[in-house]
Amino acid sequence: MLTTAPRLRIRRPSPTTAEYTVTTLPPQTLPLRLLWLLLLFLRIFLSLITLLVIYARWVQERSSFGAAPTLFSPSSLPPLLSLDRIIFLLDTFQDTPGGKLLARIAASIKLPVLVPVAAAVFYALSLRVHKEESLLVLRGLGVQTSESPTTYLASAATRFIPTEKIQDIFVNEAFRGFEVRYYLVVVVEGEEDVVVVFPGLLPKRKIVETVWRGVRECLYEGRGEDSRVVANEK
Amino acid sequence: MHPFSTVTLGIFVAGYITARWDLVTRLYELVLFAAEYGVVLRVARGLVVLTVIFITIFVPVALLARRETRLAHNVEFHLKSGTFFRSGPHSPNRIYDLCGHSSMHVLGVANVSSQTEVDPSWVCAKTSASSQYPRIACAKASSVQLILYDRPHPKGMQYISLNPIALALGDKGSFPDDVTSGEDDSEEAKHAAANKENRRKLVEKLKQHSIIKRIPSARDKALPKIVNQVNWSWELEQVLQQNVGRLGPRPKRGLSVSERVVESATTMRNYVLVQLWTLLSVYLFPIVQQAFILVLFFHRVLAEILLIILEFRAKPGYAALKDISATAQQIEIRLQQFCYWPMQYVTLRQRKANWASVTTSHPDYIRFYNSLWLVANDVIIGMAVGSYIIEHKEWVADQIRDLLRVYTVEALQSGISWLMGWPAGLKLNGELAAFLGDLFLWVIDYWSSCIEALSPALPHIIWFVGFSSFAGASMPIAMFSDLLSVLTMHIYSFYLASARIYHWQLTILRSLFHLFRGKKHNVLRNRIDSCDYDLDQLLVGTILFTLLFFLLPTVMVFYLNFAIARMIIISMKAGFDTLLSCLNHFPLFALMLRLKDPSRLPGGIRFELRDTHDYKLSDANDKLFNEPPTSIIYLKSTVQHVACEEGDDVGDVAGGQYGN
Repeated sequence: MLTTAPRLRIRRPSPTTAEYTVTTLPPQTLPLRLLWLLLLFLRIFLSLITLLVIYARWVQERSSFGAAPTLFSPSSLPPLLSLDRIIFLLDTFQDTPGGKLLARIAASIKLPVLVPVAAAVFYALSLRVHKEESLLVLRGLGVQTSESPTTYLASAATRFIPTEKIQDIFVNEAFRGFEVRYYLVVVVEGEEDVVVVFPGLLPKRKIVETVWRGVRECLYEGRGEDSRVVANEK
Repeated sequence: MHPFSTVTLGIFVAGYITARWDLVTRLYELVLFAAEYGVVLRVARGLVVLTVIFITIFVPVALLARRETRLAHNVEFHLKSGTFFRSGPHSPNRIYDLCGHSSMHVLGVANVSSQTEVDPSWVCAKTSASSQYPRIACAKASSVQLILYDRPHPKGMQYISLNPIALALGDKGSFPDDVTSGEDDSEEAKHAAANKENRRKLVEKLKQHSIIKRIPSARDKALPKIVNQVNWSWELEQVLQQNVGRLGPRPKRGLSVSERVVESATTMRNYVLVQLWTLLSVYLFPIVQQAFILVLFFHRVLAEILLIILEFRAKPGYAALKDISATAQQIEIRLQQFCYWPMQYVTLRQRKANWASVTTSHPDYIRFYNSLWLVANDVIIGMAVGSYIIEHKEWVADQIRDLLRVYTVEALQSGISWLMGWPAGLKLNGELAAFLGDLFLWVIDYWSSCIEALSPALPHIIWFVGFSSFAGASMPIAMFSDLLSVLTMHIYSFYLASARIYHWQLTILRSLFHLFRGKKHNVLRNRIDSCDYDLDQLLVGTILFTLLFFLLPTVMVFYLNFAIARMIIISMKAGFDTLLSCLNHFPLFALMLRLKDPSRLPGGIRFELRDTHDYKLSDANDKLFNEPPTSIIYLKSTVQHVACEEGDDVGDVAGGQYGN
């Protein structure tokens, strides 16, 4: 429901520049937006709870080592937006029923279990729901493939190939499981491996063909070179 | 205003006038006087003169300002003649080479009021407060790619590059003994070569798939030059900003008195400074320089001699001192660094002689300071470790003695005696096990007496190790690694002996097994041939085979015992080596740079297409500015990932050590 089959989105502000994005993000409708918002709140809520559990455990470990907790008298609150204030808020939360429940949970789990589980929870909460892969074509400069990362914390992985290095761009077919997939390939001069465009999503043949035509048009059309070279070869 | 206060004010004014009535009469007299002496006429004349001045001076100036495009031609002329670089820090020729132009050109104008006077090939840019991006129009262009970038700061060693920065030093013949090691794993090498050949063929085949061979246009080839231009842009801007005053006519005014005073004072100060500087540079500086060069020279000679000793091989295939001992290897690394530093420093100094964006020495800089920093760290840690070891040398010596006694003597003895009985219910050959065990036990006894004889000297050795750590913490680690291999020599020899016996037995068993089957190994053709044996040959061979086969488990158990002991020692040495390579090659400087300023470690470039929607809407406001379809692209530098690259290095060093 949150994702669709890969679909193509084209941005082409000028004839010499085009960006082809294949994404699993469905078109934005109102219920979907609400769902996204709900998901976002859920993520924030769960990560907050995990953080609080870890903090409760930290307080327990600290007190078991005999370190005295910092005490704030209620009359002199530390200034807003300071580290002391955050610690104060956390400490006051520890005394509420919810805080006590979290502290009991934290105390019942062993430390070698708690830390990896918390790390796994954080990783799971930072995972992206949809995938996005794009191909940016700039005439005279080159093409750039980019892949959205798996988590929200990392940045997109991009690869820029200058026009000079592009030997060819074509659509190839390959077996994958029990099906035949068509994929777009950029052959780079002087490299052993070809660059597969949209490697993770591998969209349908129709999309791949559209992108292929668009890329060739955007990169080479109007240069007047292609026809001449073809004529030479004949 | 409050009515009451109005009344109060009125009363005050009335009272004031009545009190100072003579002021009012004076004013009246003044007006009369002015009317009599023609003051009004004079005022009118003044007004006329001012108007004339306004028409003759201010209106032409405004006209001039309007014709800014003339200025652009002027700028073009100055750029061609290189006026702006006359007082620049360096000559622009080198950078013109890199950027692929013989001089700079005017590309267009910014924020002009009318487009009519502009050359049609020029670009007109228009900035506005509402939009983040400038708007570009050009009469000849059908479409526009507007690429924005943040100027990298060459003085802060930021730059962009198409290829990732290479922090690892390339192998330029650094392994002269590569040929000998290549013969050992010839099977693997052959396999790899075959793989490579296959891949090459595939790539060739892939090339034939392309129907059209496109010849890259000049524009396609310009990308490296564009990158150079982007790198230079910050410095260029500085130079242009400094010299923008050269554009108009020069001021030809004489200096005022105060300026003359200031000038003569600065001349005097400069004179004194210059005299002092010449005194320093003529007498003191050469002496210091000569002394420094002599010191460096002697240091270099000493280092080279030591290096020759360390790398001396009795025969080409034999092991040199540095291959045997970790300490020698560590000393060699340090000496090579000391020899390399002055050269590296000189090359780094050379980059100051040119534009900061020209140099390609950024990786050298990072490498140089990384190694400096690592050595400094090493020495600091070494001082702490060394003082600790020296203070507690008795305790450390006791610990080492205990460890040696418990693990290399007693544990080994008990293990051998366990093997001499029937270990784990395994029925070994009692006589052979007793013979082998007794042999090893005698040697262990002898060795333990040797260790006992050595033990009074142990605190002195520990003191020496501790003292050496003032040359860096890597020194005692290397020394402990060597000490470990010296003090466990007996295990190594046991391992060699048992492995030799085991190997013999296996070879004999294999050939006897061939005999058992009526075959034999043909050495000439390197294959198994069938062979007709006589009966007595077969009989003796079979009996021997049975005998050796039943003795095999006993020998194998002893072999396994010593092999495991040897394995543990090797893994400990590998741990020491990993520590050493962490101290010697950890990319600390690069990691810190990654945190502090990622744009100093460029890993290529990437582009981002920006949205142009808000842009189209504002277009309706003025039709005058007819712009072609424009795409806004943002050029960014990707960041290099440091850790993976150096990880290889560490693995390499550790892997190299296992071969010993």
